[in-house]
Amino acid sequence: MNRTIKSCCSRWRRKAAGVFCAALAALAAGCGAAETEPPVLRVGVALYTQDDTFISTIAAELERMAREEEQERGMRINLSVVDGRSNQTTQLEQIDSLIGRGCDALCVNIVDRTAAAVLIDKARKADVPLIFFNRQPVAEDMLRWEHAYYVGAKAEEGGVLQGRLVLEAWQAGPALDRNGDGVLQYVMLEGEPGHQDAMLRTEYAVKTLTDAGVAVEKLASDTANWKRGQAMAKARQWLEEGMGDAIEVVFANNDDMALGAIDAFKQAEEDLPLVVGVDATAPALEAVAARELYGTVRNDGAGIARAMLDLVLALADGSDPAGAVELEDGHYVWLPYRAVTARDLEEKAP
Amino acid sequence: MNNNSTALAEKVKGLDAKKIGNALLNNALIIIMLAVAVYVAVTEPSFLAPRSLVNLLSLTAAYLPVALGIAGCIVLTGTDLSAGRAVGITACVAASLLQAADAPNKMWPAIGTLPVPVVILIVVALGAAIGAFNGFFVAKFKLHPFIVTLATQLILYTMLLLYVKMGNNNGMAISGLDEGYRNFVVGNPPLLNFAGGAIQIPNYVIYAILLSVLMWFIWNKTTFGKNMFALGANEEAARVSGVNVFMTTIMVFALAGAMYGWAGFVESARVASNTANTGVNYELDAIAACVIGGVSFVGGIGKVSGIIIGVIMLRLIFVALPLVGMDQNLQYAIKGGIILFACALDMRKYLVKK
Repeated sequence: MNRTIKSCCSRWRRKAAGVFCAALAALAAGCGAAETEPPVLRVGVALYTQDDTFISTIAAELERMAREEEQERGMRINLSVVDGRSNQTTQLEQIDSLIGRGCDALCVNIVDRTAAAVLIDKARKADVPLIFFNRQPVAEDMLRWEHAYYVGAKAEEGGVLQGRLVLEAWQAGPALDRNGDGVLQYVMLEGEPGHQDAMLRTEYAVKTLTDAGVAVEKLASDTANWKRGQAMAKARQWLEEGMGDAIEVVFANNDDMALGAIDAFKQAEEDLPLVVGVDATAPALEAVAARELYGTVRNDGAGIARAMLDLVLALADGSDPAGAVELEDGHYVWLPYRAVTARDLEEKAP
Repeated sequence: MNNNSTALAEKVKGLDAKKIGNALLNNALIIIMLAVAVYVAVTEPSFLAPRSLVNLLSLTAAYLPVALGIAGCIVLTGTDLSAGRAVGITACVAASLLQAADAPNKMWPAIGTLPVPVVILIVVALGAAIGAFNGFFVAKFKLHPFIVTLATQLILYTMLLLYVKMGNNNGMAISGLDEGYRNFVVGNPPLLNFAGGAIQIPNYVIYAILLSVLMWFIWNKTTFGKNMFALGANEEAARVSGVNVFMTTIMVFALAGAMYGWAGFVESARVASNTANTGVNYELDAIAACVIGGVSFVGGIGKVSGIIIGVIMLRLIFVALPLVGMDQNLQYAIKGGIILFACALDMRKYLVKK
């Protein structure tokens, strides 16, 4: 009997099993059991892969913030982080197991964005709120349950900001137009084929320029799967084909690939063109400070972690999540991207 | 008289101790696994919560068909490395034929959504064809199944990679499955809803039970099943006593293939995201489960009940250990250790007999 009481209280069930549980809780409080053990909030965190620098940063931030909240609120927050190894089957089984362990909320960085319906149905059955982050599920799937949320940045905005960085440089003077033909020649390094961020960043970066009336010419584009090594190999190939002088701008869907392109140019001892990335990872910011990378767009990892934790805490309290975070359409928390150039870094530094 | 009886009693006692020791050693793996389960249940009571147990049951049901199939190949002193890829290709085919009519990126927009029974027939037949292909090379050219299936799994992988690039799919995950199909596999009948819907057992658990019964019947009550065991125990003896070795071998592999086809059909709806990586390494789990369950690589030995226990035990370990905070990366070493240990124990029995 005692065990039932404890486990009932220690789980911050969002919807406690009604009067029965309330009565038990009152009874437990009467016995003094509730005061000795702080309430435990169990949160399952499923990552698509731990190899991704940006994703592991989010997990680390989440862990740090959870420890802070523990201090402030006098409760225990139990984070179980699992690595899906880019395999949807693995992730599905991990989520089954997290639900089986009695998690109070799930934060999921889904491997395959088209497979969200299955996860949402599982979470709904178990009545465990589900927060997706960084990899955005298909919109229709999100409507399956009111307690499915998405926290992340809008992929097209990343592209737009990246395009604007280049646009400003283009409008600043003729230096960028190396061959003086009035047309901007560029190459594009793309992320995973079919990934929403890859497609939208590519599309909107270029669209921003063409909408502003800049004539552009694509010299080459290829996928480098978000990886620095692959990007370097592609860029080296372009340089060997003699494109070195013709390339005016290198667009990369993320920073790792932008740095890969810079590696290739440096190795071939060619003059660096204007290179732009997305994410603002630590190595990328160093490259920006060294004036090798012209600019990047900050994808707010800490902001994602903060918003998720706020959502989880609000849901655990049973309060309205819209009061804790800015919720769009009842499901989405959008975080802003922010452009970063050497100028911004200097302003920030004293 | 008194002295005699004590000596006798001691003799009996000694014998018993030896017997008990042997019995303990022969079932050492299962005993260790149960001990792990008990330990986890004590330190983390949520392991015994209904939801966690249903999860264990469902996982067992998902992995059972492949193990039931591969067991036949092991009984013939062979193995089948192509099982995982066969599951992958049948899963992708099933998914592509059963996408909802309005799914984005529908692979074959012209065919709509086929009826579920038709697709079951297609994928089971496809699996059986793959198995028969394996069986043919094993039977006709006396190649070791290890080599044959090593080759076919590579060929199947290419076919799988090409298939997911076909139609409108362009190499992406095949999803957006028809609701009817999903319900058929992962839905749950009212009969299996307990505690007011809090505990729901999915349909594919029932299918796995039916499949086990079917397999038990085939193995124990049909001439084909008896021929299979005879062939596995001693090929010459079987041939002399009139067993058609060629046909039996092909049939065993084809039956295994049909099981992979079914597994692919279930897997496709269970995961609802099918890529060229679906099913990869399933054969290893299945082989491990078979050895744990006492299907001997020596040939001619194995029971359906043993395979079921093997699959449950393997899943038990992987459901239980993360609960007590085991590092995820250790699971491969544990799997490897279990396989090695199980095979060594099995051979030990055989060596003792010799």
